[in-house]
Amino acid sequence: MSEMNDVQAGSHRPITASIGEVLVSARGLQKSFGDRQVMKNVDFDMVAGDITVIIGKSGSGKSTLLRALAGLTDPDEGRIMFDGAMVFEDQMRTPAWEQVQSHVGMIFQSYTLWPHMDVLANLTLAPRKKLGLSTAEGLERAERALEEVGMSSHLRSKPSQLSGGERQRVAIARALMMQPKLLLCDEITSALDPPVAAEVLEVLRRLKQDEGIAIALVTHDMAFASKAADRVVFFSDGEVAINDTPEKAFNHSDNAEFKKFVDAVRF
Amino acid sequence: MMIRTYDFDWNVVTSNFPRLLDGLGMTITLTVIVVALSMILAVPVALARMSNVEVVRWVAQGYIELFRCTPLLVQLFWVYYALPTLTGITIPGLLSAAIALTLNLTAFMSEALRSGFQSVPVEQVEAGKMLRLTRWQQIRYIIIPQAVRQQLPVILSLNIALFKDTALVSTIAVADLMFTANKIASESYRALEILTTAALLYFVIAFPVSLILSRVERNMMNGDLRGGKKKRSLAASMIPGAKVQVTR
Repeated sequence: MSEMNDVQAGSHRPITASIGEVLVSARGLQKSFGDRQVMKNVDFDMVAGDITVIIGKSGSGKSTLLRALAGLTDPDEGRIMFDGAMVFEDQMRTPAWEQVQSHVGMIFQSYTLWPHMDVLANLTLAPRKKLGLSTAEGLERAERALEEVGMSSHLRSKPSQLSGGERQRVAIARALMMQPKLLLCDEITSALDPPVAAEVLEVLRRLKQDEGIAIALVTHDMAFASKAADRVVFFSDGEVAINDTPEKAFNHSDNAEFKKFVDAVRF
Repeated sequence: MMIRTYDFDWNVVTSNFPRLLDGLGMTITLTVIVVALSMILAVPVALARMSNVEVVRWVAQGYIELFRCTPLLVQLFWVYYALPTLTGITIPGLLSAAIALTLNLTAFMSEALRSGFQSVPVEQVEAGKMLRLTRWQQIRYIIIPQAVRQQLPVILSLNIALFKDTALVSTIAVADLMFTANKIASESYRALEILTTAALLYFVIAFPVSLILSRVERNMMNGDLRGGKKKRSLAASMIPGAKVQVTR
């Protein structure tokens, strides 16, 4: 089947990048909202199976970058490649984006579980509608996903019956149902108490280890960034000021703004 | 003030009760048809009202304002008497009633739905988008259920109001409860008994729905509709005599 036919059929292109190879590559991303430029020529790479922690002040462009990678926002300028395929250029998504977008999952700060459905329905709606899973297959996959996030006993719970941390873990399980290769997490722990946030972050660390999923995480949890991240990216005023290993970023960086930010977040 | 003595004759009610029930049947049938049609039509109208395409938005808004800002009786008469003049096609009374009432209720219902649609957080929809649900699937499975739930008290109020407003169709000779009651009253000269019975029949149907509405509103005020932690709103706790509920 030709590439065009694949696109028309909305087919699902398997990922070829192995662990340690570049999965996402963004170059020269720019985005403005009115007069305010929130991304200024951002270059950003993500390696398959890595956890990349993105930190920076509010409004520095972190969330806009994640939304651009997720396909929720289109940059004004720049290019995005996913697994070697150009998915965004000349200010628009390319047909290749249709083929790879199912490999991208996103989790938001505000849980976003659908309150009128129980956990099982939240998890199985998209796989049933998009992947054609039967009820039994959906149930089986949901049980596996909930087990991965330690929420097996909550299959029939309503979101309103869950705590913040539990809701966030179910949101992760829901994203896992589509078997993503890239998981974008936008401040998913900022509304949680530190111990609960640590539990959620531990789930992400296990996912990276067990499933080889690349994770981009916007967080203010410096302990997690220094221990579990493979790379730390510091955003300052719409630009990537630091993009390094946690060891180098936290111990050897001479960026004054970064040091000031880390101190402010730590204490 | 002196109250006149009046000899009630309830036999006129018992002997004509089957006719009144027939009229009530017509009223309920008309209400069910109009509510069902309006619930369906209100969705595209509400979506059109929020459209990014200006012309579509203006058309939807024009329709809504036209039907919200003119009396229902005028709309009813216009469809029954004026429209045939324009088209040359005579529309039977029942069909005219159904058209006018549906157009009227759809205008109000679509505004309730629009408000409900806009109350659904954008992240809820984006979560659906990230899971590759199509635009229609996002509307069908994420937005509409939450919007309807959010606007249920308004929707139920509109439906109760419509049920009572169907009495207006008696003016275009549709044999609903009001028309039948009026006819029996004219024949028997027993307006008091017949119209009191008609009022009671309207009440018997509308009151339980009103009770359901109150319960729905109370549940929504107290927290989640289907279980979970109960939370009282600040306003609810400030009502004099309100029971204080300890929450976890």
